[in-house]
Amino acid sequence: MTVGFFDRFTGGGPEAQAAREASAKRQEQIKYALLTDSVAPGARRRLEGARSGSLPWIATLTPAELLITRSHGIKPIASVSATCWMHYGWSWTLGHQQGWQTALRRLREEARVAGANAVLDVKMRTVPLRVEESMDFTLVGTAVRVEGLPPSEEPIVATVPALEFVKLLDADVVPTGIAVGAHYEWYADWQGDANKRWMGNVESVQLSRLWERVRQRAHADLRKHARDQGNGVLAHINFSQMFEGEGSEALRSKQYLARHIVIATTVDARRGARFSHEINIAVDMHAGGTPLTGTARHHQSYQVNEEEGGI
Amino acid sequence: MPMEMPQHAKERLKGLRSSVHSAGVFTSDFSVNEFLLVRKAGFEPIGLCVGSCVYHVGIQYGSWNKNQELDVLSKAMYHARELALTRMRAEATAMGADGIVGVKLTIKRLEWDAQLLEFIAIGTGVVHGDGHKGFRAHDGGPFTSDLSGQDFWSLLHAGYRPVEMVMGSCVYHVAHRGLLASLGSVGRNVELENFTAAMYEAREIAIDRMQAEAGAAKAEGVVGVDMHEGSHAWQSHVIEFFAIGTAVLPLEQEIAPEKIADPIMVLSVND
Repeated sequence: MTVGFFDRFTGGGPEAQAAREASAKRQEQIKYALLTDSVAPGARRRLEGARSGSLPWIATLTPAELLITRSHGIKPIASVSATCWMHYGWSWTLGHQQGWQTALRRLREEARVAGANAVLDVKMRTVPLRVEESMDFTLVGTAVRVEGLPPSEEPIVATVPALEFVKLLDADVVPTGIAVGAHYEWYADWQGDANKRWMGNVESVQLSRLWERVRQRAHADLRKHARDQGNGVLAHINFSQMFEGEGSEALRSKQYLARHIVIATTVDARRGARFSHEINIAVDMHAGGTPLTGTARHHQSYQVNEEEGGI
Repeated sequence: MPMEMPQHAKERLKGLRSSVHSAGVFTSDFSVNEFLLVRKAGFEPIGLCVGSCVYHVGIQYGSWNKNQELDVLSKAMYHARELALTRMRAEATAMGADGIVGVKLTIKRLEWDAQLLEFIAIGTGVVHGDGHKGFRAHDGGPFTSDLSGQDFWSLLHAGYRPVEMVMGSCVYHVAHRGLLASLGSVGRNVELENFTAAMYEAREIAIDRMQAEAGAAKAEGVVGVDMHEGSHAWQSHVIEFFAIGTAVLPLEQEIAPEKIADPIMVLSVND
């Protein structure tokens, strides 16, 4: 007798019962692993299997990337991932700091179990679900080992793809992890200073200062969190928002919220070490922009149907 | 045969830390390629420099049938950008930078007030690796440029150095046509000389101002000039011409002039 796909979930047979129990057990194991900062047995089996070679290796790399990494003695082991789903009951802004850092710690732990030296091509993901003032902070990447090196107790986490990873290594720059800087501030405008509605050209000094302060503190926070991972950051995500809201009702004042989040790849760069590769100028004869032929659009006078696609 | 990796990189991959970074952390928004090329050019990034300005732009209406610059708006757009750039440069000066590479200038509207605009200038402060001070601007402060890391490398190898980001702005009201004029051209193709003249004048004013800035910075020329035509939710006949570029000076000593080669032609098989 065949059991239909849905029967497994709706049926009350012994198989269904066993599947439910197994799932409950796995979830208990995962929760316990989260509390103890370890890797759950299911993932551990997979990672250790890939480490010893008893299971096939898994890589998010394309064949071309595989070629590049091979030339540097880098071998993929397994795909690793980590999630931290956070409810931001206290502060949305600062929740990002905690969420990504927790995910990063868990990703390193998986990579360590896999016997890796590094995790490449680490992507930041969030599922598009809006659930009760919360969001998930997920990292996925490929754990790799470097031929001739022992496994690392503290694998580095590189947010860059394989090609950029080896380019950086050649220049003696090691991408080491992710750092987050976040800051928010309220500004209560009791005197209505920020409101320039009836004025001519004039700077809103209060709001300018609020911005400066929030950005500077977010960047200071970034440097603080980057310090234990490297000596520099390449900050690729800068996110900022400002809102106006009602302040005190009696005084009919306004208040403003400014927040800034900056997320960066941390690097450990040997100062003064130059990129040794010779750089040649090439013109790609393939269609596509190159600064050697200018970057501005050739015309914008016509709405041509370039985007419509061929037939 | 795998390629040999630098020793320091190897140690880090083994999980060994060379040292605690007491000297501080540099910040930058460079891409990997930009980072490598700026270092290849002999510079080290030291920190992101940000300047911002929230500006309330005054109101000015053009006469219905008159071509004219709206100087209140022109001044606002220029002054606000200048404030943002000056603050960014002050941050660079404070951190001892020789210059700022990859400046991005953006304008954002704040949603609760149509006349409130936010101007942000952001770039990466760099220092010359060997402490060469010859790259600074004419006033001894850091140079500024909106060139990417790639463009920066190319410019230095072309024998020039960036001095200052220069700009010119002109907000202009293009006259409406009178009823009689409209009637007179029914059924005929005619040039609207007034409109043509408006474009000429506005564009010239913007470029002129940019060129005057470059002159004040003692530059030889301006590269990478881009002309933006923007309308920041003003009336329908109001347009801003904004010219921006990087003023440059020749290097005192060219970098390997004998090595300037013809670009290699390649055909990538990418799709």
